[in-house]
Amino acid sequence: MTLDPVQLALTQNRLDYITRQMGEVMVRTARSPIFSQAHDFTCFVCGPDGWLVSQADGIPIHSGGGGFAVRAVLRDFADDIEPGDVFVLNDPWRAGGNHLPDWVVARPVFVDGRRVAFCCNRAHQSDIGGGAPGTYNPLAHDTWQEGVRLPALKLISRGETRRDLWRLLLANSRTPELQDGDLRAMVGATRIGAERVAEFAGEVSADQALALFDGILDHAERRMRAALAALPDGVYEGADHSDNDCFEPRDVAVRARLTIEGDGARVDLSESSPQIRGFKNSTWANTCSSVYTAFASFFEPDIPRNEGTFRAVEIIAPEGSIVNATEGAATTMCTVFVAHEIIHACWKALGAASPEQACAGWAKNVFGITTGRHGDGRRYVLYHGLAAAGAGAVEGRDGFNQIGHLCTLGGLVMPSLEVYEQLYPVRYRRCEFRRDGGGAGEWRGGTGVEYEIDVHTEGTWSFRGEGLRYRTGYGAAAGLDGEGGEMEVHPVGAPTFAAPKFGLRELGPARLVVSSPGGGGFGDPLDRDPEQVLRDVRDAMISTESAFDVYGVVLTPGGRTVDTDATLRRRAALRQNVTSSSKAP
Amino acid sequence: MTDSPALPAPPWRIAVDVGGTFTDMVLVDAGGRFHVFKTPSVPADPSRGVLDVLEHAARAFGADVGRLLSDCALFLHGSTVATNTVLEGRGARVGMLVTRGFRDFLEARRGFRANPFDHRPPYPPVLVPRYLRRPVGGRMDARGAEVEPLDEADLDAAIETFRAEGVESVAVCLLHSFENGAHERRCAEGLHARGGFEWVSLSHEVAPIIGEYERGSTTVVNAYVGPKVVRYLQALDERLRTLGLGPDLLVLQSNGRAISTRQVAHCPVNLVLSGPAGGVGALDYFAAATGFDDLITMEIGGTSCDVMLRAGGRVAVTDRLEVGGYDLVSASVDIHTVGAGGGTIAGADAAGLLFAGPRGAGAVPGPAAYGRGGEEPTVTDAQLVLGRLAPGPYAGGAVSLDLERARAALRTRVAEPLGIGVREAAIGVIRLVEQNLLQAVERISIERGRDPARFVLVAGGGAGPMHGAAVGRRLGARGVLVPRLAGVFCALGMLNADVGQDFTRVFIAPLDEDTMDEVRSVYAGLEGDARAWLREGGFETGAMRFEPEADLRYAGQQWDVRVTDAKADVGKLRAAFEREHDRLFGHVQPDSTVELTRLRVVGIGTLPPLVPARAEPGGPMPVPVSTREVYAFGPRGEPLGFAPTPVYRGADLLAGHRLDGPLLVEERTTTVVAGPGDRLEVLASGDLFIRFDHS
Repeated sequence: MTLDPVQLALTQNRLDYITRQMGEVMVRTARSPIFSQAHDFTCFVCGPDGWLVSQADGIPIHSGGGGFAVRAVLRDFADDIEPGDVFVLNDPWRAGGNHLPDWVVARPVFVDGRRVAFCCNRAHQSDIGGGAPGTYNPLAHDTWQEGVRLPALKLISRGETRRDLWRLLLANSRTPELQDGDLRAMVGATRIGAERVAEFAGEVSADQALALFDGILDHAERRMRAALAALPDGVYEGADHSDNDCFEPRDVAVRARLTIEGDGARVDLSESSPQIRGFKNSTWANTCSSVYTAFASFFEPDIPRNEGTFRAVEIIAPEGSIVNATEGAATTMCTVFVAHEIIHACWKALGAASPEQACAGWAKNVFGITTGRHGDGRRYVLYHGLAAAGAGAVEGRDGFNQIGHLCTLGGLVMPSLEVYEQLYPVRYRRCEFRRDGGGAGEWRGGTGVEYEIDVHTEGTWSFRGEGLRYRTGYGAAAGLDGEGGEMEVHPVGAPTFAAPKFGLRELGPARLVVSSPGGGGFGDPLDRDPEQVLRDVRDAMISTESAFDVYGVVLTPGGRTVDTDATLRRRAALRQNVTSSSKAP
Repeated sequence: MTDSPALPAPPWRIAVDVGGTFTDMVLVDAGGRFHVFKTPSVPADPSRGVLDVLEHAARAFGADVGRLLSDCALFLHGSTVATNTVLEGRGARVGMLVTRGFRDFLEARRGFRANPFDHRPPYPPVLVPRYLRRPVGGRMDARGAEVEPLDEADLDAAIETFRAEGVESVAVCLLHSFENGAHERRCAEGLHARGGFEWVSLSHEVAPIIGEYERGSTTVVNAYVGPKVVRYLQALDERLRTLGLGPDLLVLQSNGRAISTRQVAHCPVNLVLSGPAGGVGALDYFAAATGFDDLITMEIGGTSCDVMLRAGGRVAVTDRLEVGGYDLVSASVDIHTVGAGGGTIAGADAAGLLFAGPRGAGAVPGPAAYGRGGEEPTVTDAQLVLGRLAPGPYAGGAVSLDLERARAALRTRVAEPLGIGVREAAIGVIRLVEQNLLQAVERISIERGRDPARFVLVAGGGAGPMHGAAVGRRLGARGVLVPRLAGVFCALGMLNADVGQDFTRVFIAPLDEDTMDEVRSVYAGLEGDARAWLREGGFETGAMRFEPEADLRYAGQQWDVRVTDAKADVGKLRAAFEREHDRLFGHVQPDSTVELTRLRVVGIGTLPPLVPARAEPGGPMPVPVSTREVYAFGPRGEPLGFAPTPVYRGADLLAGHRLDGPLLVEERTTTVVAGPGDRLEVLASGDLFIRFDHS
């Protein structure tokens, strides 16, 4: 069937709008701040066979997972999918989940008795049981310690909610009221989406709707293939490492071997490390999402992000490895780490293929969570999210300072410390940019912050210091790496200690002192505009020493202007050193 | 100075709205009749544009500007000077004082970025470089109690830096100052007395809200635009006085209310939406003129469409906005803007998908049909190809439309890449744009809990009346109002504005009986502030009105809900809060604790409202001036085909006339499109109203 190109454009625009509307409903009706404030969810529409057609509203690390979930429903329920049914699932091995806290709700859409689509969302739950409150158990070494596992379940059957099942789900949460409200919001959003998709399919006919969905996937595939075709054919490699398995030091590598052939790409992750004991093992859906995030963020942002886009990218991830753990492995942390390493490895390989588009590394975050009780016994949960890491630079832009997670591409909004001082028994002492934290480069890496806070009550501290004590924001195109993170805890009346990478501690009132890590620079620091270096010195973003030693910029006495002649000489000398001996710091 | 027979009966009121392209003036005379004038703006010297339009009007009346001004009882002004100062990066050199240890919240911006995937562009440049953000020791806690006294030595050091660096304007944003502004006031004293700084913006005065980033960013923008905006307004005020104007020059603020130039010096940041906020008065006027209370406006110009909503007698307001990438908290009318206008560019992407927007062709080169060098097809070009616009003079004769150029642009950029005909390409562009317009209107109605079936859609701007009927029909609106004065929408609205200002206090406390005494006393204090402010503006007690409002939330929620007409009464506040919460979020939580977060008194000095003129029905039935082939669309936007369509001249349509679509009405600066099945009637106000089968 030949498609009317006008109808195709109208359809894509309309489906994107419908997924955004579903997102609005989620935000408006949910109870927990995870939806309404952190927007940790994605709404999407799949075709009747489970291929994801539109997800205009969503976070990057959910990019590729949706279709797996719906195809699991199709596999398990085959002929038993009726109008008015709604499914719920989370399990990575049984149901195409990415990690247990992200639940998917999927609702089939029927027109004239034919299934034409699924309207779905994937959203992070407040608590799903497991070994620690709040879905993240840093001590977990298998999946059963992380929460309740859901294969594809029929939650609503022909419009009738299965109350027994609903009660079972709530019984497995430490926060059943939030769970109840959020699940209702998810189900409600799919209902609005399904009404709108059915209305659309009714207008154009079911046959035409399916043909248009295919047309949308084909168009996206052509866009991605055009982007890939612009890269030179060849084999490119990229690797990123973690230095721990959550329990002890250990090299954990993600190695990507990227083959560009014509307008297609293959990402082979076979040389990556075996799976580990801790909860950073990636699932298949999460690995695909991570690779897709790397590709989608590397090219123009207006390339659609549906499963057509990623038909052009083949992924190989052997079972039993850190990028495709076997059933039963601990995985909750994987959407942050090892997603970060997978994105980095892919970015490096892509950067090797197209150096001018290369993205320098974003530093890995170091902040954890303090839970405790107010004077009146109310429980509080404090994320030290203000101690965020810096982003890597790209050609034409310095890295974002104090930006946050790579897996959301920095999309989560930073808290207000005035609000936090009202909500929590804490006082901030300092939160400002760290000098020389970002990697040097023609475009400087984003820096982290110097963060100091007094926590006035006793509490449980959960550490997630992946980015501590090694450099994680790699430099690109001769740019330098950003600094690693540091973190000390000063309990009142007890010895100071360096924070562990992962783990739980019970502490009395304490002061936390963090230097959050910096992102990598892009391009040779000797090519940075000297006026920009002057501004960085005046801003105390870099020291006079690094201006001289690394950037080769000499300032006039008083430090108010660039000494142009001396800078030219200094830069020539540094370039000479680089060619004759080893590289500057 | 001689009396001219053409001069209407004094006294009159004048509004001048300086926009990007045109300066609009509306004069309403003692008999309630409107006189409209338009001249090109002078971006380099906006006050020149004001005087130009006054001279143009005076000439038309056969009088001089002095005469026009001396019989003017009220002069209102809307200006883009604050916005342009930000957009063009031409503000003052600003220094900033912050609490020691917290220099960077302004630059970190809480990480706000519109689209995370679009990570390659940098943030807009920070308005105060880090080396001019100077730390001052001293600390308040979250309840506003002093933990550490202000460090005067730090203050002195900062003053010295600012002077050495040529700082002109200083923003002060200390932690928790909205709870206790003592340290900020001490800083201001030092900056004035020891530093000689004239321009000092204190965050607890400019934006008394919680959140260091939003409060600080607002204060910095205030400091940044202040010197330029205030000097411009004071100079204009003086100039107009010299020419004979008696009353204070009033400027429209973002909230749709006016303020005198004398009083605006403290809060110039409140002028960033000075022009578009004229829509508030315009909506109130249209409601009075037509009897339709609930209105949604869709004002479509060259590159964008502004959508605004009025329900239950109020125009929706917000206090969050963004200008040039800078986040602000400032009371303003809630305007949703999308990139869809007459100049919106269409094309096909690299993989063969039609797009329309968000990029626009601007005034230059403009649509391809203008023949000014534009190669890319626009919505206007598509309208021309479909016969909804006619070749030849357009926009009051400002340009001439060339059909062949429009066809050529659509052929090469859309039709050929997609393998379709030129006509199909034009149809596609219109359908895609109208789908975007529909979504924009749904966003501020359905998605905010408002049922569009209750609303009348107001189609304004040069391009609005071409899309109004199609969008209104698909929205299920009661009908579409096309005001005769749609082209000077905002200037008209200014004439119907009141003077007013918000007075707010952060007040975080549980909603219970124990807090009501304090609530009452805060309201009394805020009302006192508002009263003093209005008195200073020259208002008598009888012309003052005070509207108490409260912001509330369920304990633990991250954002709050505004309740108007607030009383210091637990039951009433809770009920009003839950009504709003249910509308916005679809549920209430009967057992949850409710908290107050902010108290507000809107102080209003009432000005006489515009009285709509009403014409007696009658006059001969209009005769079409021509009939031409115009492409028609069905109720869902589906393409139907070309059909012979009568074209009426706007001036021939008189109150009481009723006509069946399809038809076109050509006005001086716009064309009204009514489709098959639409019925157009002329209201007693003279405005056009389009009804649908369902309405």
